Amino acid sequence: MKAIEDFTLVGKTILRREDAYLMRGKAQFLDDLPEPKGLIHIAFVLSPYARADILSVDASAAKALPGVIDVLTGRDFAGDIKLFAPVIEIGGYRPVGRPVVAVDRVNFVGEYVAVILAESPYVAQDALDLVDVSYDPLPSVAGIRDAMKPDAPVLHDHLGDNLIFRTAFETEGFADRFAEGDVVLEEEFRLGRVTGVMIEPRGCMACPDPIATNLTLWTPTQIPHIVRTAIADHLDISESVLRVVTPAVGGGFGTKAHVYPDELIVVALARRYGRAVKWVQDRREELLTNAHAREHILKIRIAAKTDGEIRAVHLDVKTNCGAYPNHPYSPTLEATAAVRMMPGPYRIRNYKYDVCSVTTNTAPTGAYRGTGQPSAFLAIEGMMDRIGRRLGLDPADVRRRNVIRPEEFPYVNVVGVRYDTGSYSQSLERGLEMIGYDAFRAAQPKDRLVDGKYRGIGICNYTEVSGTGAPGWRVRGFAKMPGFDSSRVVVEPDGKVTVYISQADAGQGHYTTFAQLAADRLGVDWADVTVVEGDTSKTPYGTGTFASRGSVVGGGTVIRCSEKVGVKIRRLAGYMLNADPERLVLRDGRVFDPDDAARGLTLREVAETAYSMNNLGLPQGEEHGLEATDYYDPPMVTMANGTHVVQVAVDPQDGRIEIERYAVVHDCGRVINPKIVEGQVHGATVQGIGEALMEEIVYDAEGQHLNANLLDYLLPTAMDVPDLELSHIETPSIDTVGGIKGAAEGGLTGAVPALANAVCDALSGLGVNITRVPLRPSFVLEQIRNAQAAGEGRT
Amino acid sequence: MSATKVTVRLTVNGKDYVREVEPRYLLADFLRHELHLTGTHIGCEHGVCGACTVLINGKTGRSCLQFAAALDGAEITTVEGIAGDGPLHPVQEAFHEAHALQCGYCTPGFLMTTIEFLGQNPDPDRDEIRQALTNNMCRCTGYLNIIDAVEDAAKRLREGAREA
Repeated sequence: MKAIEDFTLVGKTILRREDAYLMRGKAQFLDDLPEPKGLIHIAFVLSPYARADILSVDASAAKALPGVIDVLTGRDFAGDIKLFAPVIEIGGYRPVGRPVVAVDRVNFVGEYVAVILAESPYVAQDALDLVDVSYDPLPSVAGIRDAMKPDAPVLHDHLGDNLIFRTAFETEGFADRFAEGDVVLEEEFRLGRVTGVMIEPRGCMACPDPIATNLTLWTPTQIPHIVRTAIADHLDISESVLRVVTPAVGGGFGTKAHVYPDELIVVALARRYGRAVKWVQDRREELLTNAHAREHILKIRIAAKTDGEIRAVHLDVKTNCGAYPNHPYSPTLEATAAVRMMPGPYRIRNYKYDVCSVTTNTAPTGAYRGTGQPSAFLAIEGMMDRIGRRLGLDPADVRRRNVIRPEEFPYVNVVGVRYDTGSYSQSLERGLEMIGYDAFRAAQPKDRLVDGKYRGIGICNYTEVSGTGAPGWRVRGFAKMPGFDSSRVVVEPDGKVTVYISQADAGQGHYTTFAQLAADRLGVDWADVTVVEGDTSKTPYGTGTFASRGSVVGGGTVIRCSEKVGVKIRRLAGYMLNADPERLVLRDGRVFDPDDAARGLTLREVAETAYSMNNLGLPQGEEHGLEATDYYDPPMVTMANGTHVVQVAVDPQDGRIEIERYAVVHDCGRVINPKIVEGQVHGATVQGIGEALMEEIVYDAEGQHLNANLLDYLLPTAMDVPDLELSHIETPSIDTVGGIKGAAEGGLTGAVPALANAVCDALSGLGVNITRVPLRPSFVLEQIRNAQAAGEGRT
Repeated sequence: MSATKVTVRLTVNGKDYVREVEPRYLLADFLRHELHLTGTHIGCEHGVCGACTVLINGKTGRSCLQFAAALDGAEITTVEGIAGDGPLHPVQEAFHEAHALQCGYCTPGFLMTTIEFLGQNPDPDRDEIRQALTNNMCRCTGYLNIIDAVEDAAKRLREGAREA
């Protein structure tokens, strides 16, 4: 598809229409919705054990509490709700289902054991303490390596071991190509377990409609249509009687792009009791039970020539699935992402990977901003520096030696992913220039100790998968992931425009940017365009808003659909003006002949004809109405790219890392609204700083969750954030509608490896080797002390 | 477990309210569920994230950590009280123009913190702003545009004061 060059509103910062009602406190998030009469509040009894048999549940005291309606256990749902399981069709995946409330056995701390139904949330909380569950604790396992030991407790008997997923890939003649390297480098990288920590925790509310068989589920999800399909499947009800609506959503980050057991439970209960049912998650539950992410072990072996050219790469990735596969992705999501994204912006032609995922007695892992890519780039970008150190080359030169050159586009990478356009070299060079790389290297003292601190620079040159279409999901086995998104664009009888989109905003500014796109294509004032999203009863079916797909797929369908309506507008106007429709243009709310502007109509006048509100009638064969529907399935994936270059100072006294300078070069193709893209880059980068320096969910070896609160799970605050120096490059895609590429995740993907590399660079003179994140001060200090002790041992 | 209810009188956004609630009823729940002022959001219920920040007798406080009954007679300002339905407050305008909010869930807390802070320090530098904001968590924006907005809001308020 040719990039569209005649945009007028695209590329302009329009301030968000969402802001005023959010800042006046008028937005309705889930817990802000008016509560229906007769609402039942529910709360979950959570397992305190990582693995145990449930011997008995005595709810008599809880049931006796005034205001408690009932207390239900897993068996009470077994008849209504099928075993909860994603549909994954990829070799090496072995299906596992879960009861939505545990039956007989719990497999992670926080698993639902019983459900309290009460007249008020306070009473529901009171009743939690009165449910007496008798457990028989069993041996449990939390870590990847422990779960792979032959004598490890096996979570799911039918698997025989804990390997839920395993697959491999190898290019032809890999061993021979690997042997051509002059040097072989090997390293093992690890990433801590993290999660989205949206400031709004999850929750959901199911309301029976006045028409008794119908039901509305309010849930702050990024994937309303997929939620509806999953609920209908598992409850064996028709999708046509279930409406899924998203209220205002207080952040998503992938964590809200799952289907969760509680969504099935509230719908089942609303059907059973004929009353509205609501659940609101607290922060402890959020950290215990929402999908976690990462906890990857990546072993990478690289064969390189003495000039730094990479001959072959072998990547072995192990991921922690948690106790059960998440829905709808299963653990294959991050596993296949990590191995498929690793080649990144580099010319890697000989590649072998082995990847597996193991079940453990921890919360299920799933999608979180960056999915697999921070891991992949921690490994490959870490190796770029190591190749440099081994061969005495500048790490920037090692990247230059391997990066895909401008003349090589379009480029198909070693796993079959097409890079249509990109600015890989340009962005690398600009990032280095912004930070003053050469001057820093020239001045970097040998022992690197200046004013008591060690300084280093880290680079990450990354690609960012965005806008995945059906082929991209199918190749990874996601059978129920449509890939397309859709829209319906309606010019109303008064000439104003309504756009219904299958996506679901969680703060990205869709109500502004998608209005910009429709207004641009229809030649109307963007303020005259209303955007409707997040309601399965109003919008056509689609995949949703996650994995950097909003602008690519949502934007693409809005452009296409608006243009379809534009064709009809011109056709009708041509008929009304007795003019050639091809000659007419849409601008300023009018449709007119550009050579004779007086010869034109307002959009309203055309709409009045379309809606039979005048005496003109319609041309033969024309239908009433002025709208179109569009389903846009984008290419397999579209690659955005960028470069992070960061300078840090490490204090050897306390292990603290200070970010002194931070340059971000960012290329997401055609930019719709620059300020909103900037916001995405800022937000993602700071989440990456969090993942690199402080965030980690900690389990002990037996699977006890040790930090399910925000005092112990550290998020970046305003004090932790450096001023970022941002530079945009705009290299439009030639494959996607409008040339758009995704923008939401690259910041995180770039930050984690760049920071790890910077700290490693700062401390490499001491013999410290940084191979894992997060780099908390205590950990860094330990590495410094160990290296110092080893150094003294040698002398 | 539900104890006898007590009478609580609060002045919220300049309006007097009297309600009978349990002694353990949180101020956040009182505002949100008794008065339907749902602009004050609950993010963590343990006083870390700052989403529930309101002004209690002119000073910021965590409405998720305080019992309504313990504040009998207090004056509360919530996000709904900043500008009502009228023109946006200079702090709100600055947040809008700097793109200092994305999902907006944490924003009411940031607005309350900023209004108190700029009242005390009308001309802060960026480090002082960072320190003032450190008790409010935002997961979307990465804070930088919020810091810009607070700088700009300070300017707007200073200019407004000069004109007045």
